[in-house]
Amino acid sequence: MLKTHYIHRFFAGWQIFIKNPVAKAGVFIMVVFMVMALASFCLPLLGPMYDPMTGIDPDIRLSTPPSLTHWLGTDNVGRDILAQLLEGAKVAFIVGLSSAFISIVLGTAIGMVAGYAGGLWDAVLMRAADIIMVMPSLVILLILASLFGQFNIWLIVFIIAILRWPAVSRVIRSQTLSLKQRPFIEASQVAGASSFRIIFRHIMPNVLPLAFLYMTFRVTSAILVEAALSFLGFGDPSQVSWGMMLQWVWKSGHMFQAPYWLIPPGISISLLTLAFYMLGRAMDEVLDPRLRRQAQG
Amino acid sequence: MKPGVFLVKLLEIALIFFIILTLLFFLFRLSPGDPVSKMVDPMLTPEDMDHLISQMGLDRPVWEQYLIYVKNFFTGRFGVSFHYGEPVKDIIKQRLGWTILLFTTSTVMAAFAGVYLGKIAAWKKNSRLDNIMSISALVCYTLFIPWFALLLLWGLGYQLNLFPLGGVLTPELWVGAGSFVAKALDLAHHMVLPLMTLFIINLGSYLLLMRSSMLSVLQEDYIITARAKGLGETVIRDKHAAKNAALPVITSVGLNLAFSINGGALTEQIFTWPGIGRELIFAVSNNDYPLAQACFLLIALVVLVANLIVDLLYAWVDPRITY
Amino acid sequence: MSLLSVKNLSVGYQTPAGVIRAIDNVCFDLETGRPLGFVGESGCGKTTIGMALMGLLPDNGTVLGGDILFRGKNLACFSEKQWRKIRGRDMAMIFQAAMNALNPVYRVADQIREAIITHHPEAAEADLDSRLEELFDLVDMPLERAWDYPHEYSGGMKQRAVIAMALACSPKLVIADEPTTALDVIVQDQILKGLRAIQARLKIGLIFISHDIAVVASVCDRVCVMYGGQIVEAGTTDEVFSSPRHPYTRMLLGAYLSLDSKPDIRVPEMGETPDLFQADGRCRFSVNCPERSADCSSSRPKWIEVSKTHRVFCCNEALIRSINETL
Repeated sequence: MLKTHYIHRFFAGWQIFIKNPVAKAGVFIMVVFMVMALASFCLPLLGPMYDPMTGIDPDIRLSTPPSLTHWLGTDNVGRDILAQLLEGAKVAFIVGLSSAFISIVLGTAIGMVAGYAGGLWDAVLMRAADIIMVMPSLVILLILASLFGQFNIWLIVFIIAILRWPAVSRVIRSQTLSLKQRPFIEASQVAGASSFRIIFRHIMPNVLPLAFLYMTFRVTSAILVEAALSFLGFGDPSQVSWGMMLQWVWKSGHMFQAPYWLIPPGISISLLTLAFYMLGRAMDEVLDPRLRRQAQG
Repeated sequence: MKPGVFLVKLLEIALIFFIILTLLFFLFRLSPGDPVSKMVDPMLTPEDMDHLISQMGLDRPVWEQYLIYVKNFFTGRFGVSFHYGEPVKDIIKQRLGWTILLFTTSTVMAAFAGVYLGKIAAWKKNSRLDNIMSISALVCYTLFIPWFALLLLWGLGYQLNLFPLGGVLTPELWVGAGSFVAKALDLAHHMVLPLMTLFIINLGSYLLLMRSSMLSVLQEDYIITARAKGLGETVIRDKHAAKNAALPVITSVGLNLAFSINGGALTEQIFTWPGIGRELIFAVSNNDYPLAQACFLLIALVVLVANLIVDLLYAWVDPRITY
Repeated sequence: MSLLSVKNLSVGYQTPAGVIRAIDNVCFDLETGRPLGFVGESGCGKTTIGMALMGLLPDNGTVLGGDILFRGKNLACFSEKQWRKIRGRDMAMIFQAAMNALNPVYRVADQIREAIITHHPEAAEADLDSRLEELFDLVDMPLERAWDYPHEYSGGMKQRAVIAMALACSPKLVIADEPTTALDVIVQDQILKGLRAIQARLKIGLIFISHDIAVVASVCDRVCVMYGGQIVEAGTTDEVFSSPRHPYTRMLLGAYLSLDSKPDIRVPEMGETPDLFQADGRCRFSVNCPERSADCSSSRPKWIEVSKTHRVFCCNEALIRSINETL
């Protein structure tokens, strides 16, 4: 019964969502990039010349503008830029979505515990959340890089996630607080259910949809931070991310001579983050009717 | 704010900073590699090395080391930079001013502009102007800073040759006996591009925040009361609505710090603005741990203090807050 | 000559589902210095009347037709600029202040002074101060509290402040929309007594809007009963509340049980909601009317004069005239 209720609410929400021009734009852009990311899997089919990392065109040894064989041109070692862009799309999605997912899991767990337990737990957890939320993630990643050396992409994803859970936990905590008052929670307590059981069996299902809706904002910050880190040269050298591409343009001194190399990765980062952000805002409007564009009577 | 409450907040900051300091110490011990070679440049003479080692307590047991570490921090003994060969303290002193100049100016400008434009956008909600402003703000917010900075550098600096490509001053002008005005203008000239970058990036979030704050304020009853009194539209918008709507924007400056400091470091890097952010990046790439550590801790401290200032400001401006 | 004369006023709200005709062909007059009450349940349109009279309808609200004659001018076609001249000066509104009717970041005194300065920019400091003192005296508030912020006031004080602010420029017409609804009974009583005294002393034309019959009865000497955007009965308080004729008024008063209520009073069952989209002038109460007949769905009701002051809106004249009992 609960499932059909959710499905119904989802479809009702979707109707409102998809009418919003912001949502339409966001979905469109995201689909474009998803296609790009998926296309990157087909790259090996085109031959070794198009491998984003190692694919060097035997005829070209320097950066060339767009041509028929290389639609976006090549970088300074002769690699195809479009291939790199597609690979970067894949990396961006992986980084964004997995980091956001971990953030959500952490943030939800902490938010629920803080909201349900209340008292000292709540105070301490939320204060920790406040502090962590204002800390600049890039700076922290930098100092960690100086201590532990080069990062592997998954480590980056994980560290970003543990720096970004506070925003989620606040929202989940409020939701938990209001759920706590509901009769069915009281009934469970009276029946002798343990706190753990109550939190995970009763509160969590009601709180998860909200958590996932806020995931989009986590994705944007993950993508931006990873890109910045790669740009500075501290990213995972085995991954071709858009930030990495920008690093190569910059370091090789080509940024003024090769706009076809400079522009695509930068625009992609911005557009993809914009798309996720627009989706998040549009979902916000679905949840909070006051934000909706049509005037109500 | 009552002095007692202020004191408690100061203590809280001290405690949090302490925790950060401690965490960093443990991470340092946990990290791979020999702690001594991390903190002390192996290129120094043996006497200098020994002096530094004992100063930093690297030959003592861990817990003693920790106490010395904390004490050193508060007395300003951050060690000696590998790269510069100078005490880290001196380097930081030179850099801090530049960062504060750039950062404070851009934040204040962005906040004021954001409040002003956000107020107008909300007032003319869903009009063409509002849509243009909101979308532009959104784009600004999601711009990738290094890319945007590089574009500005390329466009205005390289192609149009309007602005210098980096640095903070033209050396010739400053070494000689140039006039104060000339020096100030030169500084301003160098500051334009990095300032513009940070300003535009941060403007987006302040505008959007002010706009949504204003939209909820406009639903409040006191706005209808103001209309019922016969007040003019501009008076209602600016005096009654905006003043209330701007309050959450003030707190957001604190929350936004994470985003703006990240951006600040990247901007400094690209425009070779000699600030703490750039120094940190430089230190990390060069394995200059003493310098990196000091930069990081300083930034952490700045974040905490800035939040306190924002709290104070908010308490001063909102009459409902009584601590 | 009436202070305010409303003729066939209709107000609609634009919604995705169509135009909601929140007020349908409403007519009434207000004499100078008299208190007129509007009573009815939530959604009957009484607040909309208040807002329409002040030109404060929301963006999706418009006057669909009719005239609002105030001091010789028709407010229904006023421009925003014209409204701004008279709002606060010739007519003022008292809102439910327990909420947020006062701006939290300005001192109360400054907000009241603003009300005066807006219409009398040449006023001297001394005049402003003395007027402030007068106003606070009028609403029975200690002057020292004037320089506090609204959040430092109790609910009753906030309401008094709102009243003082409305009276700042000595308007001839004051509209009070549920001014005491959120206050506790004792404070409510004080405020109402004060309001009545002020109205009588300053000879203010007062429109008092409330869902609470007792409150309206204590302040006003004339009252209009509303349902579904239409006035169904109007007259002196005595006539309407002691000998109601319209079936809705009778039901309303039946629901309002007095302490010495008769055991056989039925609490009415109102199953249907009135159709607010309806624009043909038919009776909107007929869906719930126990005296409903076939005429109700085909003909439009008319005003039945029961006495010089007492009129009833119904299509069944015989029924209305036959009712003779008092409650």
